[in-house]
Amino acid sequence: MSTQTLDPSTLPALAEQRPKHPWRKKTPRFTVSVILAVVLPAVVIVFLWQTSTIPTPVLMVACYLPLQLVASALAALATRGRRGIADSIVIVSAIGATVFSLVVLLSLLGSLAVRGWKALSPSFIFQNNVYISPSTPLDYGGIGHAILGTALIVFLASLVAVPIGIATAIYITEVRGRAVPYVRFFVQSMSGVPSVVAGLFILTTLIVTGALTQSALAGGLAYAILMLPTVARTAEEVLRLVPDELRTGALALGSTRARTVFRVVLPAARTGIVTAIILGIARIIGETAPLLLAAGNSDQTILNPTGSPVASLPTYIFNNVALPYPDAVTRAWGAALALMILVAVLFTLARVLSRGRLGR
Amino acid sequence: MDAGLRHTRPMPDLDVQERRNFSASATANRGDRVFNRVITVAAFSALAVLAGIAIFLGAQTIPVLQTQGLSFLTTTAWDINTDPPTAGIWGMLYGSVVLAIISLVIAVPASLMMSIFMVFLAPKRLASILTNLIDLMAAIPSVILGLWAFYVLNPTAEVWQELLNQYLGWIPLFQNTSGNFLGTPFIAGFVLAIMMIPIVTSVTREVLSRTPPDLINASEALGCSMWTMLRFVALPYGRGGIVGGIMLGLGRALGETIAVFFVLKIIFDTNWYNIIESGGGSVATLIVSRFGEISGPYELQLLLAAGFFLFIMTLIVNVLANLIVNRTGRLQK
Repeated sequence: MSTQTLDPSTLPALAEQRPKHPWRKKTPRFTVSVILAVVLPAVVIVFLWQTSTIPTPVLMVACYLPLQLVASALAALATRGRRGIADSIVIVSAIGATVFSLVVLLSLLGSLAVRGWKALSPSFIFQNNVYISPSTPLDYGGIGHAILGTALIVFLASLVAVPIGIATAIYITEVRGRAVPYVRFFVQSMSGVPSVVAGLFILTTLIVTGALTQSALAGGLAYAILMLPTVARTAEEVLRLVPDELRTGALALGSTRARTVFRVVLPAARTGIVTAIILGIARIIGETAPLLLAAGNSDQTILNPTGSPVASLPTYIFNNVALPYPDAVTRAWGAALALMILVAVLFTLARVLSRGRLGR
Repeated sequence: MDAGLRHTRPMPDLDVQERRNFSASATANRGDRVFNRVITVAAFSALAVLAGIAIFLGAQTIPVLQTQGLSFLTTTAWDINTDPPTAGIWGMLYGSVVLAIISLVIAVPASLMMSIFMVFLAPKRLASILTNLIDLMAAIPSVILGLWAFYVLNPTAEVWQELLNQYLGWIPLFQNTSGNFLGTPFIAGFVLAIMMIPIVTSVTREVLSRTPPDLINASEALGCSMWTMLRFVALPYGRGGIVGGIMLGLGRALGETIAVFFVLKIIFDTNWYNIIESGGGSVATLIVSRFGEISGPYELQLLLAAGFFLFIMTLIVNVLANLIVNRTGRLQK
């Protein structure tokens, strides 16, 4: 042992025995303390919840959390000694933070489903908002025009952002010019441009100068500014996964560089590229501020990309929130539910596609 | 070619010769040269857009600064109908910072603790479910978040703030003299925190999960408890990435418009520290809230100037964040 060094790779049995999480060693005493530390505060809180009039959220944060912290600290003290106290605090607050985030997420999705469901009906999906006032009952009018408007704006944004985004990724992974670090840096910085600033930019360059009016095209261009960095960064990650053997192989067979990119690299990464586009769309589809500035609003179904303001789901929600008419508010929830379903579908699609991604 | 035998590697590792071998500029083919040029031009569109925003919004800012002087940045006013009109966005700039601080105070501990749970405590299955949920949370459009905050969070937050005021009202931070607990910076900061949590969590989770297992095992062997391991190994190891992630979230929070619009009452007065008093400021929200009832070209110019300073503010935060994140290695998958 004195001169020999132990190489764990030659001693697989030893390597396997090495506990991954030594702090998780369990003894009966430990198990009992943990059970006590979990059950006792819960019992006390359920008792308080039943007998006292303290509001539930206050009870949870102002009573349950401190109680649970103290109980866990005591349990840790009994099993691990003083050094266990810090661990118990970390564990309780880590679980607490996770539960907090989940409660927020569930509250959001739950209220969306419950309140939005009331509005959803075939007429709500397919009709537009012409002749509809905020006090019109829910049987009439809908978000058909807003869905089409959103689709049109997103399509126009993709027309601009997808080629440029993919070209940026190609520059970084295929052309590999001298400016690669700078290009990456600019794309990263661009992803931080606030959405309202993108709207203002289109407003001042195109609308104020009279080149365009508030329209789907102007809204789409504002969206493109927000979409480009997402597409570029995701596409870059995907192209990076294409093995260099494919590139050198194509070049060795006499293909030109451009042909290699279009015939070999991009097809090899096509699901990943689709994922990049989907993530880009998911990023922008709910943005409201740029459309308020650049696309305006309308009650009619507009399919003309230029010339007239166009409705979209986010602006429809925006216009129906905080109105003193319950039906208008329900419409806002319905539109929000439709938007969330769209986002969730895009999100799931991207997940499913990226599961079969190259190199994974 | 030697380079071709290796698998994909990170780009910065390419030495000069290798890059030349791969670079399409090493070609004699005419089509390739065109391709090369087109791609290079497209790649600089990000720079072009950033420069365009700075130039076009900056051009509108100059006349505003000429008429309003520096008081545009140092005073709080929005009197458009007076002659000459006076405008100042100090309260908005300051309000944005207050909202950012509130959201950081809530989001940073929550995200850190959550990522610690996901990396070091949760079983693998649960951790991967949580990762998906967090990504879904990041995908929620801010207008939906604002809708939820207006109708679901507001009533709850009202009760909370009343209790805070009742028991801790002697602290200046929790003073409220108006009795109106809606439209407060606290609620707006809370909503921003909910936006930040998924962004910060996904970065910190990534960073913490990259702590080398050897370091963790070594610290266990030296007798560290979980807390000491976190305190002296995992957190210092991921410090750069964590700070960068927080700043990315911060950049997002500073620029957020719509979610804040629904829950914050914009007042043209500086709300210095009464975070549960109704009324506050935010540059981004100012732009949207005034744009709806805009009075004329001069007010539009004022809003564009406000947008310019918002752009500069978020750009600085984002550039710093990216520098920090890049220095600590690639974090995106």
